Amino acid sequence: MYDFHNSALSPIQTILLNAAILSIIVVSLMRSERSLRSQSQWTMLALLFVFGVSGRILLDPLPNVQPVTVLVLLAGVYYGAPRAFALAATIALASNILYLGHGPWTIFQAVGWGLVGVLGASLADRLIVDGQLRMTPLVIVAAGSGFAFNWFVSLSILLGPGSSMLVPYLLNGLSFDLYHAAGNIAFVAWMSAPLGEMMLRHRKDPSRKSVRDVASN
Amino acid sequence: MSDLLKPTSIVILLVVILVAPTIQDRMSAEASRYVNDSESSHDGLPTIWDDKQVLCVFFPDDYPHQDFIGGVTLIATDGETIGVNDDFNRTGACVGGFNGYTDGMDFMMDSTRTARGKLSVGYEVGEWGPYVHTIGGLNSNSVTGDFSGAYWHLDHNGAMSMVGIGDLAMSEGDVLAWSIGTW
Repeated sequence: MYDFHNSALSPIQTILLNAAILSIIVVSLMRSERSLRSQSQWTMLALLFVFGVSGRILLDPLPNVQPVTVLVLLAGVYYGAPRAFALAATIALASNILYLGHGPWTIFQAVGWGLVGVLGASLADRLIVDGQLRMTPLVIVAAGSGFAFNWFVSLSILLGPGSSMLVPYLLNGLSFDLYHAAGNIAFVAWMSAPLGEMMLRHRKDPSRKSVRDVASN
Repeated sequence: MSDLLKPTSIVILLVVILVAPTIQDRMSAEASRYVNDSESSHDGLPTIWDDKQVLCVFFPDDYPHQDFIGGVTLIATDGETIGVNDDFNRTGACVGGFNGYTDGMDFMMDSTRTARGKLSVGYEVGEWGPYVHTIGGLNSNSVTGDFSGAYWHLDHNGAMSMVGIGDLAMSEGDVLAWSIGTW
């Protein structure tokens, strides 16, 4: 009997197949977001989590091209450092345990992405002006975050072979740093506007909170 | 800005995908200069192999190779055993005396072939290049113990190789050593 599961895909076919699956997931998530009530921040974070985990796993054939860095950067911008950090750590842990491999490097990835979220939060006032994302600084920060994240994760080599191997390790990683930065630029170009609008709809309105606080007092 | 950004971002990504292998080759060669040809990586090997290329395979105590139980068997390029060194405090085999290899995978396949099937290599080619899962009949997936998993670990001149065997650039006198690593 012919077993279709035995058919081997070429790397290009795998990337196309995974991109198609990811597109289905992204479109479904965007549709489901429309039916959410405004300011469902935790549900929005859950949708971002699903997108981050599936994006990271499905884009695995393209080294370091994945949406997580841009997702946590935007989460930092819109939802603040603590939530972006939590999102970063849960995406790193879940995708590693599910598929990519869990080990000491997971803590470096979780903290590395968390710090990207902290960076987004600290630059929020500069990256959003009049409710609009400023694309040029966002592209620069996203590309720079790709390099910074990779170099931070490379520090995990200090736990094993030691500091003498750090320089060759970083040199060998340079092409992967470029993949990461280029991927981040593409994700900012294509996703930051729709994602930013979605995140904005589910951002807690500070003025509303203060009114409610006054009312409860 | 955003009108121009979308096509530009695709062009940047495509350029990176196209030039990354070239950059990777350049950087691997540059990085290998930092991995000094450690004298100690030739310790325990015949002095006639001092400037020659050598491949060693070490087996875990719990999973010894039936042909290499009493130490480390030293095999020459013609496949003849030239001795057994039991000072290594581990068991396995080293095949040595080669020169002129620049590609790690070519060297791996040719050198293990001289051991007449005793060190045959099983590997899969994935997106990241060849992944070695079996050497000398020992599949790393079959190694179990008090750890999450095991793999065939590659050392290059006594230090952990920064790249897989498929990307490894070799020079004269290099020693490659495979052993089971765990995580």
